[in-house]
Amino acid sequence: MTPPRLPLSRQPLRQLQDRIATGLITAGGIGVLMAILAIGVFLLWETLPLLALGDTLAVSRLAPLAWGTLKAAIAAMLFATPIALGAAIYSALFMSARLRSRIKPTLELMEAIPGVVVGFIAGLVLAPWIEQHLASALLLIVWLPFSAILAGALWHIAASRLRPRLPHTWAGLWLIPWLACMVVVALWLAPVIEQQWLGGDLRRFLDLHYGMDYVTRNTLIVGVAMGFAIIPSIYSLADDALADVPPALMEGAQALGASRWQALWKVALPTAGPGIFSAVMIGAGRAVGETMIVLMASSNTALFSASPFEGLRSFSAAIAIELPEASPGGLTYHLLILAALVLFIFTFLVNTLAEVVRHRLRRRYHRLGVRQ
Amino acid sequence: MKRRSPHTIREATWLRDGLWPWLCAACVALSLLMLAALLTLLVTRGLSHFWPATLEEVTLGSGDIIIGQSVREAPLPQNAGLERLYFTGNREITGANWRWVSVDDITQQSTPNDLIRLERTPWGDFIGRLIAVESEGQQLTGQEAWDHVKNALTMPPSQRANSELLLATADGQTLRQPVSGISHFQAPNAMSWGQKTYVWGQNVWRFLSQGPRAANTGGGVWPAIFGTVLMVILMSVMVTPFGVLAAIYLNEIAHQNRLTRLVRIGVRNLAGVPSIVYGVFGLGVFVYGIGGSIDTWFFSDELPSPTFGTGGLLWASLTLALLTLPVVIVATEEGLARIPDAQREGAVALGATRLEMLTRVVLPMATPAMLTGVILAVARAAGEVAPLMLVGVAKLAPQVPLDGEFPYLHLERKFMHLGYHLFDTAFHGEDVQAAIPLVYATALLLVLIVLALNLTAIFLRHHLRRQRGNEC
Repeated sequence: MTPPRLPLSRQPLRQLQDRIATGLITAGGIGVLMAILAIGVFLLWETLPLLALGDTLAVSRLAPLAWGTLKAAIAAMLFATPIALGAAIYSALFMSARLRSRIKPTLELMEAIPGVVVGFIAGLVLAPWIEQHLASALLLIVWLPFSAILAGALWHIAASRLRPRLPHTWAGLWLIPWLACMVVVALWLAPVIEQQWLGGDLRRFLDLHYGMDYVTRNTLIVGVAMGFAIIPSIYSLADDALADVPPALMEGAQALGASRWQALWKVALPTAGPGIFSAVMIGAGRAVGETMIVLMASSNTALFSASPFEGLRSFSAAIAIELPEASPGGLTYHLLILAALVLFIFTFLVNTLAEVVRHRLRRRYHRLGVRQ
Repeated sequence: MKRRSPHTIREATWLRDGLWPWLCAACVALSLLMLAALLTLLVTRGLSHFWPATLEEVTLGSGDIIIGQSVREAPLPQNAGLERLYFTGNREITGANWRWVSVDDITQQSTPNDLIRLERTPWGDFIGRLIAVESEGQQLTGQEAWDHVKNALTMPPSQRANSELLLATADGQTLRQPVSGISHFQAPNAMSWGQKTYVWGQNVWRFLSQGPRAANTGGGVWPAIFGTVLMVILMSVMVTPFGVLAAIYLNEIAHQNRLTRLVRIGVRNLAGVPSIVYGVFGLGVFVYGIGGSIDTWFFSDELPSPTFGTGGLLWASLTLALLTLPVVIVATEEGLARIPDAQREGAVALGATRLEMLTRVVLPMATPAMLTGVILAVARAAGEVAPLMLVGVAKLAPQVPLDGEFPYLHLERKFMHLGYHLFDTAFHGEDVQAAIPLVYATALLLVLIVLALNLTAIFLRHHLRRQRGNEC
């Protein structure tokens, strides 16, 4: 039996429709891609007039901003990278699978919290608190890692009957109350230490001995707040990279007598290295471009200072503050667009690098998987 | 020989690892702790503001009496001891809404039931006592006065009777307050838990449904919610078709060669470009470029005051559409790539043209992926503030962009946005102290909206993966 055929008269119409639709889609798709490309072209075009002016002015106006951007990004990376990578190592290799399937989406949701909310908490809650409790805040940085090690040591000493109740694969969860208690202990301890060794007030001590000024909204606050915002993106990518390491590699190392930590250090980290590198790169890209957190948590003063207790002003914050007031075509306008161009090129390059590295890594895993 | 259970073996390997894994575990715990602390702070401070606070009457050592709501305590700057901040209201009499009191200085403290709190339009809050109500020549006192005020408040201000309240402040001064200027009246100390809960619900509703009052220190955020939602809807109307078109082009029509791969990487990377850069593009191209041209062509009689040549709803949503385009393209492409080629080949083998194959087979299968992309785009746009500061957000928009006047939707108007409202109230307000509780509430609302959108996207994606898993 032959299949029913459409009447011949409708065939050309269908072909025509198809041609038109394909043309439209192609035009639309290329148009969208061109529009995206237009961003780079526009930024370049608008900075061309600056070339006529000579470069000294642009450099002197933008250099403090560049320093501020860099300083904020470095502070955020110093805070976020260890925490994010540690969390990724633990959740990819040590955590129970059931817990990981809950924790990972939760930490990824952290990324969705709007920057303006994080900035508000940092600028109006965290900054005044740290100003009053600077010693406690600095003590916490030392105290928390120590308390984690203490928890581990106690667990090792603990009776073998207690250990199954607090399984190490769930440590990420049951350490939360422990850390909370340790924070309280540190807050109680800090004033004592301050009274004993630092003459009662750390800020005055710093001022007297090192000549360091303390500003309420400073680099430390920006680092913590922006670090909080970029932890999830670094964590998520690094965790993917580590979890995708072929299990045969780890098992082989352990079969040859390595402990899990040795297997991680000698096998998993070198294998997943490019993936972790690209995760850190993407985090750096975010830290450089983040606007609202820097705007709200730093005091927006364009300074050249390396002190973590002084304010800063980044490219993005300068654009957000000054560009609405700058007259189009004026010098400030072009300078700020140059700042935007720098941000654009930097993040684009960093992201491309990360993407290429990740692509290579995926191919490497693929090869390793085939050999298995 | 003694056999060791698998558990003890596993435990033994863990013991050999030493203490490093504990540091890593603490990193997870610390991240979760920070997230929990942030959310708890927002929820408790954001919601407790609406609870009718107890008013205290405090007698100081100097004989002064103040009535107010205790807000917080802080250590005294020089000597030991605490000081407490009271919100006392009555700005027209005392000159300030706030008063710091040393805790040691307080000799007597009580919470009498007859203390009242009024929200008024010209001067902000009044805290004190109600003596009487003067209405049409007669003076009402006691329960009658209360009933009269309650009745009056049920009507809109313009229709209320011409009566006045006789009020007494803490130090015994009396003042007259016309009923028409009162927006809210309560005696929190006399309320039961049930009544307080009811008032709490009412306050939350007023926060969501009213406009801001008293330089953003009171009232609600309705215009900001409205502006955010309208902008996000306009944005999704623009971004969905173009994002899907681009994804279909990249995945179904373009030849898969080196160039397509490059374009794909480029699009993916644009998602990582800082949002402020999109804001700069929007300002330079949409506002000054296209908007300026539109003004010279169509609105030249209104120049030099710009119509489209300044930030507005249209430019803001266009900018955000461009910002979220990569999100939609990437999500849709993932959905398209996951459809097995056999489906496409089957459709074509049965005689379908490419258009028919796309519209009848491929697109219906990719719909959940597209939806996920759009929801993620909306979630990103709802929380984004930086680019909006350049292309059209306003501190206080006098006119809502949607009204009964032709052409109903005013694309050129500036609008209010939740995120920017939060930023502006917290950092540029006159009385930041008074605005802080509302800022917390706004932040909570914003976080809830964004998290709800993200959770929807996650569940949708999860559902989609499971469905596909069954099919294959």
